[in-house]
Amino acid sequence: MILMQPQARAVLQILVNRSRVKQEKPLEIDFHLVEFNDVRYHILSVAKEPHYMTLSLGLPLPAPETVFSGDLPLGAVEAVRGAYGSLAQVKEPPEMGYNLTLRIDLSQLPADEEDCLQVLTKFASVRSVVLGAPLREILKHLAMNTVSPDADRLTALMHRPRESCFLVPQADKVTVIFPMRFKDANDAVLATSFLQEFMEARRTGGLNTAPPCLWSSNPPAELQGVSGLALDANCGFVSIVIFARHVEGDKLERTVWNLSTFHAYVSYHVKCSKAFMHTRMRRRVESLIQVLNRAKPDLEKDKKTAQGRSFKRSV
Amino acid sequence: MANTLRPYLTCIRNTLTAAMSLQNFPCQDVERHNKPEVEFKTNTELLLNPILICRNEAEKCLIETSINSLRISIKVKQADELENILTKKFLRFLAMRAESFQVLRRKPVQGYDISFLITNQHCEEMNKHRLIDFIVRFMEDIDKEISELKLSVNTRGRLVASEYLKQYT
Repeated sequence: MILMQPQARAVLQILVNRSRVKQEKPLEIDFHLVEFNDVRYHILSVAKEPHYMTLSLGLPLPAPETVFSGDLPLGAVEAVRGAYGSLAQVKEPPEMGYNLTLRIDLSQLPADEEDCLQVLTKFASVRSVVLGAPLREILKHLAMNTVSPDADRLTALMHRPRESCFLVPQADKVTVIFPMRFKDANDAVLATSFLQEFMEARRTGGLNTAPPCLWSSNPPAELQGVSGLALDANCGFVSIVIFARHVEGDKLERTVWNLSTFHAYVSYHVKCSKAFMHTRMRRRVESLIQVLNRAKPDLEKDKKTAQGRSFKRSV
Repeated sequence: MANTLRPYLTCIRNTLTAAMSLQNFPCQDVERHNKPEVEFKTNTELLLNPILICRNEAEKCLIETSINSLRISIKVKQADELENILTKKFLRFLAMRAESFQVLRRKPVQGYDISFLITNQHCEEMNKHRLIDFIVRFMEDIDKEISELKLSVNTRGRLVASEYLKQYT
């Protein structure tokens, strides 16, 4: 599994199981789940209301330069209404400790198995809808080659708890800048070598249309005027330039998800690398110990004389 | 680069063969104690001159001998930041398992990356020439492993980057 999927698999599993149960049967479900980057889910189904389920989403705290309207990213409520339509209702106020609560109407799910799965997958990707809402807005304008009138020259979006990435929207392209921060210094060195590969990956065949990526250890020129704390990045800055061809039609959703989880993707692969290295080192240790054991003549070999009698050699 | 490896390892092998004549020597100062003299260095008459074999500025090998023990310290070449952390990780991994290696020292000597301590006990239990084979093989394996780890990191980086960017096309 190289790429990360927008739907939360545990949430999808619970929703599918719930939808398979006949709705007249009262069922009590209460699940609390946590996903990477501090995102929490709470799924609740009470016996009194067999046709409804509530799905609550909890988000981490944003950095000071990122603007949230209420407790949600800008445009999140509209995006949710647009994605789910009549199937889900946004409950005001959201559940205690969570940022968004949806009331899903199970009786309106399509009867066909495949369509139902598609709808439930969309529900399981609620994280992508909510967190990617401001990004989606800006990219929609890019697809039409315009800039939203109320977008600033430099927008800050949350992509990790208390950290933001920066967007420079223009009419023909959008530049996304990620200051990359890793807690562990060793991780930062491994990630630096990965990020440098991003710069060179475009040269391989077939990737000419991919967005150009740049990596630099100093903040790029577009980040002039941003406060020092936001620019503290021990692994350099990655700038990705998105053009209109990357956001037309179906590609919009994928682009939004890939950009929102860029840091998580790199960090996931750094950890996989470390695990692989451990496996290799363990194998190497075993082979070295075998070499060492050859040095020990502790097994007394039975030697045979010419007549066929065996004797033991006493050292 | 490779043409200095063979003479370097041959020199180390010859020095070790000469230095590894260890005999049992109970401690002179404390009754009933039997310590590896090279670690304590209290009595100069029991120590031989330490030998430093350098392959280049970055790689060297220090061999200190005494009457009942021998200490070998190796400094491995680290060209860039990535090799630096890979070497540190790998050698720390090995040093943590020093008990299973028996002749390995848990902490490297100051200024070096990894150290061995061979005592007369080890020479009695194990074949001397095979032991030297092990040390030389160990040094070759470290170099091989570090370069393979670096290669795997670069390969993975390339794959990760191309898979990610494919998503946009």
